[in-house]
Amino acid sequence: MSSSNLYTQSVIDHYRAPRNFGVLPAPTHAADGANPLCGDTLRMELRCDGGRVAEMSFSGEACVIATATASMLSELVVDRSAGELAALEQVFISLVGGQIFSHDQLGGLNAMRELAKHPVRQKCALLPFATLRAALAGLTSATTEGSN
Amino acid sequence: MNAVPIVKPKPAQFDPLRYRADFPLLARRVHDKPLIYFDNANTAQKPQAVIDAVDRYYREFNANVSRAVHTLGEEATSAYEATRDKLARFINAASRDEIVLTSGTTQAINTVAYSFAMPRLKAGDEILVTTMEHHSNIVPWQLVCERTGARLKVAPITPAGELIADRFIKMLTPSVKLAAVVHVSNVLGTVNPVRELAKACRARGIPLLVDGSQAAPHLPIDVQALGCDFYTLTGHKLFGPTGTGMLWARREWLEAMPPFFGGGEMIKTVSFEKTTFADPPHKFEAGTPNIAGFIGLGAALDYVEAIGRDRIAAYERDLLVYATTTLKSVPGLRLFGEAPHKAAVLSFLIDGIHAHDLATLLDHEGIAVRSGHHCAHPLMQFFGVPATARASLAFYNTRDEVDRFVAAIGRVRKLLG
Repeated sequence: MSSSNLYTQSVIDHYRAPRNFGVLPAPTHAADGANPLCGDTLRMELRCDGGRVAEMSFSGEACVIATATASMLSELVVDRSAGELAALEQVFISLVGGQIFSHDQLGGLNAMRELAKHPVRQKCALLPFATLRAALAGLTSATTEGSN
Repeated sequence: MNAVPIVKPKPAQFDPLRYRADFPLLARRVHDKPLIYFDNANTAQKPQAVIDAVDRYYREFNANVSRAVHTLGEEATSAYEATRDKLARFINAASRDEIVLTSGTTQAINTVAYSFAMPRLKAGDEILVTTMEHHSNIVPWQLVCERTGARLKVAPITPAGELIADRFIKMLTPSVKLAAVVHVSNVLGTVNPVRELAKACRARGIPLLVDGSQAAPHLPIDVQALGCDFYTLTGHKLFGPTGTGMLWARREWLEAMPPFFGGGEMIKTVSFEKTTFADPPHKFEAGTPNIAGFIGLGAALDYVEAIGRDRIAAYERDLLVYATTTLKSVPGLRLFGEAPHKAAVLSFLIDGIHAHDLATLLDHEGIAVRSGHHCAHPLMQFFGVPATARASLAFYNTRDEVDRFVAAIGRVRKLLG
């Protein structure tokens, strides 16, 4: 199992002990992400202040890839605007799609570059980003299961 | 008088390694590990004989079938039509004319849905299926129901994944105009008591369709003994090329059914005033078919018959018992489908581990299993899970592979547990 470049120690650590896991007392934004075919559900709650994320937490049940992505993402969102996070999502999409190999802003999320070899699992990593985007846009739900 | 002791010759030992050598792909490595291919219910690997048959067709006698009078056309037609004969023997059909060549089970079931069911159904009629059907034996009926006002009725299964046959039979009320049941479940491995169901259907005058996609690679099939009205199978699960399959139907039904697709190959005469159709089965085979694929399927049928389906079934039974026992030793493992009569399919989940994570990590060990809903959402809903992991075995799989698979699961548990 040590040969896995996707399930790195850091990814597994974020899965076992997810950061910012739980609910916020007074979220200003929230959305429920769900990939029903996989069975993944992620709720993202945010408190925004002056157009920037002040606090984020997530809850739910999902696979290693989705949970670790959500956990790592939760450490990157503070002080960013919706526009900056949308740009970060685009960078992340390029990473999992294999167009770029790494990006400074992605930190531990760079491990997800391995998903370029696992196209079916890309939607797992994209779910937290899509749910975050939905919450910031005032929407209540998100999914990354398009067709199956 | 001295009795001469009669020593029965021992049946030849089934040696999976001997057959493995016939499948070039099984020699490959994945993530630098020897491939363990446990996704046979999804699609099976192809023996060299099938690959050669397809290759030979394109190299030596590529031509269209049933129309060219030149040598190549005749050679292609005879090789293509030979597969119809082989399929007829494979399922013991009364006649080769009852074999409609299709792109697979999905097309076969859709042909029955649109050509047989739709003209007969009216509002208030019912189609009976079971909880364990594949989407291909649910969705075509739903589409036909939408158009006719008929409705789908679902016969229940037990928590062990067995069809409750009594309930199925009780549900065969006068409003049921067609019943459709899977022979072997792609998720649970359950072998349904098709003969008993067919008898009950017949007694009530209800036609029965049997989806044999997963049965064909594992069991001897005799449609006359089963007593059903329609039987479908798909070639790529039977070690043949993709895009091949079959609808078998009783001759009288095929004659009564209007064509589903129109085009060339399925006509007698065409004028703008009136077209007359070819006799069955050609009436249902519009357009140039998957000639290479069916020639390959013919080679696959020859290959399977040369080994012997009884021997394959016996070996797989033994392998299934071994795999079930070994897999059940894994702590926190939940097995889905424990019918007493089942094929070598093992659907399972492990506490705290997502099926997709398990499948990805097994892939990193060179082990191919499927994870997901297996095109059976209603069955997943019945068990209350979104997805399972599934190991589906074939006669070229071995006990050693089962051991390595279970050891790899142990490592995944250690990593994620």
